[in-house]
Amino acid sequence: MWYALRDILAEAWPRYRTRTARLRAHEFWGVQDMSFQLRRGEALAIVGANGAGKSTLLKLLNGLIKPDGGSIHIRGQVGALIELGVGLDPVLSGRENVFIRAALLGFSRAQVLPLFAQIEEFAGLGTALDMPVQFYSSGMVARLAYAVAVHLRPDILLVDEVLAVGDMEFQRKCVNHMLAYLATGGSVVLVSHNPYHVQAVCQRGVLLEKGRLTFAGTGLETLDRYYALQQQQLAERSAQSGGSAPLIIENLVFESVTAPTIITDGAVRVRLTYQAQTPHANVAWAFYIWTNDGLTCITGGVNLAPSHLLAGRHELSCTVARLPLTAGQYLVKVAIFELQSQQPLALLGWEDAPVPLVVQGELSLEKSFQSMIQQLVTLPIDWHN
Amino acid sequence: MREIIYNSSSPLADPRAFGQGVGDDVRAVLRVGRQLFVRNLRVQYRQSVLGYLWLLAPPLFLALTWTLLSKANLLQGKQPPVPLPLFVLTGIFLWQGFVEMLNSPLQQLTAVRATLAKVRVPHEAFVAAGMGVVVFNLLVRLLVLGSVMWWYNIDWHMTLLWVPLGLAGLLGLGLGLGWIIALLGLLYSDVANALGLIINMWFLVTPVVYVVPTRYASVLSLNPVTPLLTTTRNWLLTGQVEPTPSFWPVIGLAGAGVLLGWLAYRLAQPHLIARL
Repeated sequence: MWYALRDILAEAWPRYRTRTARLRAHEFWGVQDMSFQLRRGEALAIVGANGAGKSTLLKLLNGLIKPDGGSIHIRGQVGALIELGVGLDPVLSGRENVFIRAALLGFSRAQVLPLFAQIEEFAGLGTALDMPVQFYSSGMVARLAYAVAVHLRPDILLVDEVLAVGDMEFQRKCVNHMLAYLATGGSVVLVSHNPYHVQAVCQRGVLLEKGRLTFAGTGLETLDRYYALQQQQLAERSAQSGGSAPLIIENLVFESVTAPTIITDGAVRVRLTYQAQTPHANVAWAFYIWTNDGLTCITGGVNLAPSHLLAGRHELSCTVARLPLTAGQYLVKVAIFELQSQQPLALLGWEDAPVPLVVQGELSLEKSFQSMIQQLVTLPIDWHN
Repeated sequence: MREIIYNSSSPLADPRAFGQGVGDDVRAVLRVGRQLFVRNLRVQYRQSVLGYLWLLAPPLFLALTWTLLSKANLLQGKQPPVPLPLFVLTGIFLWQGFVEMLNSPLQQLTAVRATLAKVRVPHEAFVAAGMGVVVFNLLVRLLVLGSVMWWYNIDWHMTLLWVPLGLAGLLGLGLGLGWIIALLGLLYSDVANALGLIINMWFLVTPVVYVVPTRYASVLSLNPVTPLLTTTRNWLLTGQVEPTPSFWPVIGLAGAGVLLGWLAYRLAQPHLIARL
């Protein structure tokens, strides 16, 4: 409780601050031993579980709080989209808030006026722009705040999981805008767990765990690593709890039957491992394959024949004779549910990390076309002429 | 393009850079503060039926209460040289200005707590906007006071020209203390809770609604508000030029308080944000 006062008094005594920072009782490092560079035109994804240090890192980059050790060097003006609703006055209209928010970010009314038409067009709020912000939905607030922040053209844009509140059209708009912004030399630091956003915007990514940087790679590699970590932690938690839940899905594995790897149109065996405390009769199970952005379910399978689950650790399995997915990365969600009531008994990938599925592709003209137009599934076609 | 370096060292380790940063921010604060002030004025009574009447109603009711108490001889003491209602009203308007300025930094910064924690904005701009509202409110009340003075046929004295200095002293003292209260109040909620109690006590030991009793003059003069309030009221109502003895030292104290309070808040800012 007194640490704050001591820290503040230490600011007034510069020589005191040169000591090496160390933890005091009940303290922990929010961010530690982290080093990375971000150049003009680059976008970096920051991925990590809750409490990993993502928001603290953004606050440090934004100059809101000071590091206790080390240093951050920034060239250019930083713009932050950390929580879109903050800074907007609910009683004022959207139009009035544009100028207030811009003023808070250091822009005068005269500087904002020439940009106003672009902001208005990007936000797409129509006549609602003259309505008090307290009557806006969260999506409308997101549109307005994002429109103001990005049109003021910061050199570095910090974005913290804020796009999720907007609708799909707005998210696409934002992603396209970020790509254009990067192309003109801007830099983006994006905190997101949305594979679509990370894949579309970020060339690079870093994974944070308990305040430390544990992995650096491409944006998608970082997400894969994060999902794998989540699966591992889930399994560990299940093991530690001694299977206290009546039924849990421990794992889902896709195995190629005919080829060394999973390929388009190849046969695939699906194995689900479950842990049950008691036997369960009359249950069904299903798996669904989703696009890598987690937004669209492409296909899936439901076994509606009553299954009987034995107590202990066992497997359910099936074979997909021909997997119609084009080469790429997908996400799989699984459910075991009671057949009569259709109530889920165990889920995997719905509220936690989905299971990644990678389909390999051969180099051929057909595959190139599929990749070019982002085709997802194949059709068995007999061409007649 | 200028490189910004964030590290653990105190800004005072490089006084020149610190001074330059303060200078740059003053300009930004004035610009942003002006826009926020206009916003505050618009928002202040937007969802209110009586609107700006609320600016005058509380001090008018307070003045009326104390005047009635005095006239009922419940408060014994020297009679003021001007009509009692006018004396009480002037004291309350001036006190109100001081108290509003004292409360303003903590109120303004608490209202935008979430913004301060998430967005890099000049905190001083919110305080400046709050100052603007306090000054605006005080000016409106002084206009009302002018009409009451006219009603009581009070002579207009040359000492009215000194009134802005007295007001600046009162507001400056309030702001200097307000910075420190804001700094502590953002860390500890006890401060906001205790503030109301302390202000009520302070009101009673300040000659707002009564004339300084000769017996307690030396004790009351230890209260820094006393010389500022009595001198400014004399300049407004009686034309007495000579300020009370400790007026000038308190003016100096108020000026130093504003500067030191602001610098203290500035140094504390990152540590406050980390705990918001």
